[in-house]
This record gives sequence, structure tokens and C-alpha cells, in this order.
Amino acid sequence: MEKPIQDLSALRHAVIEGDVPASVTAARTALEEGVQPIDVISQGISPAMAEVGKLFEEGEYFVPELLMAARATKEIFVILRPLLAQAGSKPMAHVVLGTVQGDLHDIGKNLVAAMLEGGGFEVTDLGVDVPPETFIAAVKKRPVQIVGLSALLTTTMPAMKTTIEAFRAAGIREQIKIMVGGAPVTSKYAETIGADGYSETAAASVDLARRLVAAC
Amino acid sequence: MSEELSSTVAQNGLIAAALAAEICPELALAPLAPAEIYRYLGYLLKGSPAPPMAERIAQVVAEAQLCLRPRGAYAVYPVSRRTAHSLKLGDTTISGNIGEYLKDADRVAVFAVTAGEEISLLSESAAKNGDAFSALVMDAVGSWAAEAAADALMLSVRRHLRDEEELTLRYSPGYCGMEISQQRKLFPLMQAEAVGVRLIPSMLMHPLKSISGLVGLAPKEAVSSYHSPCDLCPRTGCSMRR
Repeated sequence: MEKPIQDLSALRHAVIEGDVPASVTAARTALEEGVQPIDVISQGISPAMAEVGKLFEEGEYFVPELLMAARATKEIFVILRPLLAQAGSKPMAHVVLGTVQGDLHDIGKNLVAAMLEGGGFEVTDLGVDVPPETFIAAVKKRPVQIVGLSALLTTTMPAMKTTIEAFRAAGIREQIKIMVGGAPVTSKYAETIGADGYSETAAASVDLARRLVAAC
Repeated sequence: MSEELSSTVAQNGLIAAALAAEICPELALAPLAPAEIYRYLGYLLKGSPAPPMAERIAQVVAEAQLCLRPRGAYAVYPVSRRTAHSLKLGDTTISGNIGEYLKDADRVAVFAVTAGEEISLLSESAAKNGDAFSALVMDAVGSWAAEAAADALMLSVRRHLRDEEELTLRYSPGYCGMEISQQRKLFPLMQAEAVGVRLIPSMLMHPLKSISGLVGLAPKEAVSSYHSPCDLCPRTGCSMRR
């Protein structure tokens, strides 16, 4: 008879509270008690993050609470990743992120990176003021499913278009999905410049990335 | 602490037209109230986070405050000409609705302040270490400090007010109907580089936590009838509404 799924309420509670050490301890305990890594995700992390997302939507939680919860799940994924690989699970998608050339703002991009890592994605953050060739080099270096472009100003936003065009010129545009975001960016602008997706908030970027990966 | 410009004024033809100019290498910021940081972090409806989160935030704020290097510079010019869509200071014409906003001012101070580069480096380092939470709080402290530095610099600008005069609201390129490209005209009018603030080609300032802008010296009566530009904005729930 298959072992019943253990009670993961302690793990869920720790993640919702953004308590990183308690989350890691709860995950280790669950694994020691025989909970399968995949169940830690489906019964622990996923419902906890869904609750965090709900609290954010309801105005009960704000970005700092989101980030602490994402940090907690990121640390759990560090433990789970090798176990999932051993079990033959497909690795999570790899996202390359950066603030486009000419722009120095990094906080929005950092939030997206943290939320994606908390969602189990592997993230390579190229930093700020990233020229198109650096994005292209990162994609050529190893398999990448998604490229995320960030810009905070109307004056730097056109560099997103330049970057997408550079991917096309390099002949690798079709290999990847491109998502864009930043204060002046809209879904209409994203469509105009040929991006595959736009997210208004860092919190929503995780769902967007999942949808884009599913479409890969 | 501040030092009056003397030799540097002579080196810059534009600034020579100024009525007054000053470099403030160390601005004293007002104390940072936790509520202010909560506002920058987006806490609006509830006003403040739960106690464990408030404690986490306070720890990062204490560390971040040690990295602030607030300083600024300004120059006061007579308004030589204005229309609803332009404002001429010396030989420089600033385009945009600023002419309308500062219609009652006969002198205008051009200014730049910064919280310093160190706070951005600290935030960047936290982000690189995977600590986006601390990076966010440090960034918020930097944003607060840039505004607080502008408030502190205004205390110096106020010394140039005549009786029955008051400072108007502050207006920055990129907002208030002034294109961000106007930065290029603003910067030669003051000694921003003397306090380490420079423009990069995309019109952003380095360090990132810097503010440039214009403030009018106008009759008290006219200033008191001003409304906040936020009155024109439909985003009534914005945490930065003033």
C-alpha cells in the first residue's frame, strides 16, 4: 500500500509566514519522514504560494511578504532539485533576465528573479545596462527557455525592441520565449515589439513564465 | 555644511548668470520614520506590516542608513522669459508646462541631490547574494533619502526667499509635462558634478538615487493657491500621493 502523504501544514505555514529557516527545517523533516520531493512541491510549496498570492491580491500581503515567501521556497528548491534530478524529473525551465541597455534600474528585475526562483525556475540574472549581445551570448551558452527584459523608463524602453531584433538577426529568436516588464511597459507595447508576454507585476510573472514554458 | 561657489562659477559661463549658487557636500537628513519606509515599500491600506516583518525591515533599514551620503547643489536664476510652455533661465530655455507651473516665480532654483552611490551598491550586492528582500528595503531607503536630501537642500534655497515669498512645489524632468530630455539643459545650469551627480546618455542620473529639478521662489499668496499635481492624477490609491 502506498504511504499516505504526510501532513505538510508546518511547511505551508512556514512558507506563508516567510520564515526561511522554519521552511527549510519543515522540508527536511518531511523528506526524512518519506514524503516524496514531488509531493513537497504539490502538497506544500504550491498551495502555500497560492495562499501567499491570494493574500497579496487581497491587499493583506505586500511585496516584502511575497519576497520572504519566495525566498523560503527558493531554499526548499535548493534541497529538492538534486532529489528531483535523481528521480529523473525534467529540470525546471531556465530564465535569463536583465535590465536593457541604457537603463540602470534593477529593483523590478530583482523582484521578478526572486519570484521566479521561488516558483522553482532556474534564473540567470545578467544585471543592468545589458547590451543585446550579452543576452544573445547567455542564450547560446546553455539551454534557455525564457528571456526576460526589464526597463523603467520610456527613454530606455526602445532597447527592448532592439534586443528582440538582435535575437532575430542572430537567428535564435524562435528558440526562446521573451517576456517584458517595467513601469512604462504595457501589453500593447509588448505586442508591438514582438515579445511573447508581458507581466504587470513581479508576482504575476511566475504564472506568465509557466504559460510561456508550456507553449515552448 | 556648505561652501559657497566662487572660482567654479567663473569657470562656467551659464552658472555665472546665476544670482546665487551653492554646493552642499553634506546634507543633514530629517530622521527616518518607519512609516515613511513602509510607504516606499507599498504598504498603504494597512499602513504597517505585522510585527515580525516590521522587525526584519527595521534591521535592514539600520544597515542601509549607514550607507547614505546625501549631498546636493543648486543655482538660483532670474526668470528672463516665460510662456505657458517654456521657461527661460539666463540663456537657457526649458520646454514644457513648467512655464505654466512656475508662472508666479520671478526666480527659479535649479537643483540636483543624491543619496550617494553606496546605497545602490549595497542593494545590488544584496540582490546578487539572492536576498531580494533586503535589496528592496535598501532601495526604498535610497529613494527616501533622495527625497529627504531634496527637502534638506530646500532649507538652503529658502535663504534666498524675500519677505512674503515661499518655495513652490519641486518639478523634475520626466514629470509634470517636462520631457526627460530637458535634463540636458538643466545640468549645465548647476554644479551637479561637484557632488558626483552626472547624466548618462539615456538621461538617467548616476548615482541612481538622485533627483534633479526646478523650484520657484514666488509670492506666498500665489504659492498657497497651488494644488498638488497629484490632484490631476486618477491613481487615488497611489502610496506616493502627496
